[in-house]
Amino acid sequence: MVLSSESLTAEFERCSAALKSYILRITANKQDAEDIVQETWIRAQRSLENFKGDSSVKTWLFAIAQNIARDHLRSLKRWPENVGDICKEAAMGDQGFFSEAMTIRQTSPQGAFEIREHIAFCFTCVSRSLPLEQQIALMLKEVYEFSVKEISEIMESNEAMIKYYLHTGRSKMIDVFDKRCALINKGGVCHQCTELNGIFNPKQNAQEEAVKIQMVRDAAKQDKEHLFDLRMKVMQELDPFTSPATELQLHHMEFDRKVMEKHLK
Amino acid sequence: MSTTASFSQTTKASTTKTTFHRETTVSTIIRADEAIIWALLTNAADYPRWNTTVTSIKGQIALGEKIVLKSTLDAKRSFKLKVKEFQPGKKLVWGDGKGERTYTLANNSDGTVTFSMSERIGGLMFPMYAKYIPSFDENFDTFAADLKKEAELIQSKAN
Repeated sequence: MVLSSESLTAEFERCSAALKSYILRITANKQDAEDIVQETWIRAQRSLENFKGDSSVKTWLFAIAQNIARDHLRSLKRWPENVGDICKEAAMGDQGFFSEAMTIRQTSPQGAFEIREHIAFCFTCVSRSLPLEQQIALMLKEVYEFSVKEISEIMESNEAMIKYYLHTGRSKMIDVFDKRCALINKGGVCHQCTELNGIFNPKQNAQEEAVKIQMVRDAAKQDKEHLFDLRMKVMQELDPFTSPATELQLHHMEFDRKVMEKHLK
Repeated sequence: MSTTASFSQTTKASTTKTTFHRETTVSTIIRADEAIIWALLTNAADYPRWNTTVTSIKGQIALGEKIVLKSTLDAKRSFKLKVKEFQPGKKLVWGDGKGERTYTLANNSDGTVTFSMSERIGGLMFPMYAKYIPSFDENFDTFAADLKKEAELIQSKAN
């Protein structure tokens, strides 16, 4: 199968937003996401002749992007699962963080704070505690809805290993959020999203805002698998680059990334 | 023997003793890709999630690496072990001066893998401390059953 430059351009335009958000969600780094998507385009154009049509163009593009991202991420340490606690403490001791965030909140058209945006942001950060392969596989399956076969093509691994990565990654994330997230577990230790809602939306009742999210409404059923699926649905429904909360969340993510880099040195 | 029958074939753990050694073995047939079984056996941090006989394993399971294992066999002890052999998808051996644990996988080419585990402990001083070492049989049966259950669960996941 021959892929023309025009077809590649059209397909790239169709999936570039998903590609960019996917890379952001595995790197937690806006600049990396932009650079890697650009590099993906360059490499795809250069290797047009190598596209054999064994997979879809979208899968092929994700494979190129994923390879670039994985090479980059392999040299970086994984984050701890309590990344939120560490970054919260750092933020409390950094007057500049809240001052900048409040300016964004008050002046930017993409400076809104929404709890569901924070849920997605939180998953991006916490999932960096998984082994890299598990994080990548989980994101591709649960958020970007690739099949196991497609993920095996993207990750150049066999389907059995992809199933292993998915199962272990999912089990770990279910356990971490069950222990930590007060939205789904009254005994959860992390209340950051409602606390931040109190800071950025002082006129709102955080609990009333939280119950607008199905995952929170269904928490009482205590079906952990279902709650995880709903958490992933929140991720699917949001584009971290185009939402009304983009600038505030990216500011928050940049802060966390810098804190983590310092913490892990 | 039919294929169906072989899926449930598990040999219960058994122990043989001599004056200077003791060896416990168990084996079971697992209906899963050997890559899944191997990944479960070599991901140290993940053990407590699926294996009810292991409390924790610290370190990396790779050739020459040292690991610290805590087991339900003796909750107060930490076993400091070295990974002595590491043949991906086939064989894993760890141990210390007193004994060695060996895991082997054999692909049966029918969608199943025979998993075997053995532990040989002993030496010249063995008669002096043999009576203080608990039986491993129940622990081995549980380990093999946990591994079989988890690997077959992963294998059965939808595509």
